[in-house]
Amino acid sequence: MPIEINHSRCIQCIGCASVCPTGAIELDGLRMVFHPEKCISCGACAKACPANAIRFIPKEGAKQEQEK
Amino acid sequence: MEYDHDVIIVGAGPSGATISRILAQEGLDVMVFDKRKELGEPVRCGEGLGAREIVAQGIDIPKQCISTDIHGAKVISPDGSEIVWKDKETTGWVLERKMFDKWLMEQAVHKGARVQSYTRVFDLVKNDGKISGVKVTHGGRDPYEVTAPLIISAEGMEASLARKAGFRALSTLYDVDTCYQYEMQEYDHENLIELYFGNEVSPRGYVWIFPKADKKANVGIGIGAHLETGEKEGGIKGATPKEYLDRFIENHNQLKKASRLQDFGGVISVGAPIDSFAKDNFMVVGTGARQVDPIHGGGIALAMESGVMAASTILRAHKAKDYSEEFLSEYEKTWREGPGKKVATRLLLRKVMESAKDDDFNYIFKTITDKDLNDVMAGKFAGPVAKVVAGRPQLMTLLKALVS
Ligand SMILES: Cc1cc2nc3c(=O)[nH]c(=O)nc-3n(C[C@H](O)[C@H](O)[C@H](O)COP(=O)(O)OP(=O)(O)OC[C@H]3O[C@@H](n4cnc5c(N)ncnc54)[C@H](O)[C@@H]3O)c2cc1C
Ligand code: SF4
Ligand code: SF4
Repeated sequence: MPIEINHSRCIQCIGCASVCPTGAIELDGLRMVFHPEKCISCGACAKACPANAIRFIPKEGAKQEQEK
Repeated sequence: MEYDHDVIIVGAGPSGATISRILAQEGLDVMVFDKRKELGEPVRCGEGLGAREIVAQGIDIPKQCISTDIHGAKVISPDGSEIVWKDKETTGWVLERKMFDKWLMEQAVHKGARVQSYTRVFDLVKNDGKISGVKVTHGGRDPYEVTAPLIISAEGMEASLARKAGFRALSTLYDVDTCYQYEMQEYDHENLIELYFGNEVSPRGYVWIFPKADKKANVGIGIGAHLETGEKEGGIKGATPKEYLDRFIENHNQLKKASRLQDFGGVISVGAPIDSFAKDNFMVVGTGARQVDPIHGGGIALAMESGVMAASTILRAHKAKDYSEEFLSEYEKTWREGPGKKVATRLLLRKVMESAKDDDFNYIFKTITDKDLNDVMAGKFAGPVAKVVAGRPQLMTLLKALVS
């Protein structure tokens, strides 16, 4: 799993979902849900998360930043 | 084809509520879905709203939705010097956003619109390749389809349906500020919003104190999400707004003793609007289309203004039974020629100011007055820039994009 959401830190602010380029995270009712099959391991969600609630586990060779 | 509704609106925030009110008032069959369990909850907002735009729309906000009146703003530079700025631009309210969003939607329901909470729209329905409805689920129960010749995305930052419809409704890290905020008590204030600038305080952003009733205040921060200001979970470098905010509060005489009633956060768009707002049978309105002020991240007034413009095009499309991209683009044109111009000017200003050093901020804030700030926010840069550059010519390098 490229990311893990720490639900006790998460404040459901949808920051991660707003920058995820592939729609791999979304707010489903009351919780953020992660769809690993869509994730491209870019790390944008973890960088943007204001609550530091996402642990990002970089994958070898993956493109790790969004373009500016 | 027989449709279930004339228009389906995804999202019951300020933009969706505004459109549905106007359309329902004109007799259209409007269905609104929102995935929130309770409309207005959770709040992800500083709750500040300028009076000018709202008064222009003829909206009379009831008392229970307003926490306190705002008489102006105080802008504080890194060395602590202040400009007090009282003008039409800075007169307004700090809302009780949860009550406000719900009230705004209730006005649409009074006019005949229907809204369904806790109902997530997760996909489009297509007929012969043409968008003709949406797939929804109520609280995760069995999904079903609902049809209409026109679907409106009023989804806010996530904009997942708009993306499914082919819009690039997505922000890069560089074009958002990542925000953390507390509702605090007790804070003695003078009904002025306070904005603290500086790279130590808040890199590529600012700290805000928005006063509320009963000595409460929203104290928040936004910093560039692309910045690597600290180490995050898993060891990567990234933006750490909460750490900056906590430090600000720790160094603030009054706030360090205050209580925290609520934590909230979010990301706000400070970039450009998306490159198109309409396609056949589909429109994007409000913050989903990144119709947000790039200087302060305010999006409520723009979402409502855009809602009015979209509704007027929709009414004409409904009469003409023409939901083609060409017809619906009228709304986009109106927007780009109106609020779009202001947003573009402020984007330019944001990009210039993000290169300013603390010393530049100090000098600029000492040199300009509240009147100059009016000019700057109105996009009239020449006077204020001349004043600053007269005393410190080297600042021309920073500011020249504003006057060329
Ligand atoms: C920390 C922070 C502080 C801010 N402070 C201010 C401020 O002080 N002043 C200001 O003017 N603006 C502020 N903003 C911005 C402001 O909150 C937004 O611009 C505004 O809410 C936009 O209105 P909207 O109607 O476009 O979208 P939203 O208010 O975001 O509404 C979108 C609605 O759509 C629903 N939705 C989304 N996707 C789906 C789906 N697939 N199915 C069903 N429903 C869906 C959501 O649940 C939501 O209710 C702030 C934002 C943040 C993050
Ligand atoms: S790592 Fe990138 S693709 Fe994966 S969930 Fe986060 S933002 Fe989305
Ligand atoms: S950005 Fe962080 S706090 Fe916000 S919803 Fe995503 S995981 Fe939760």
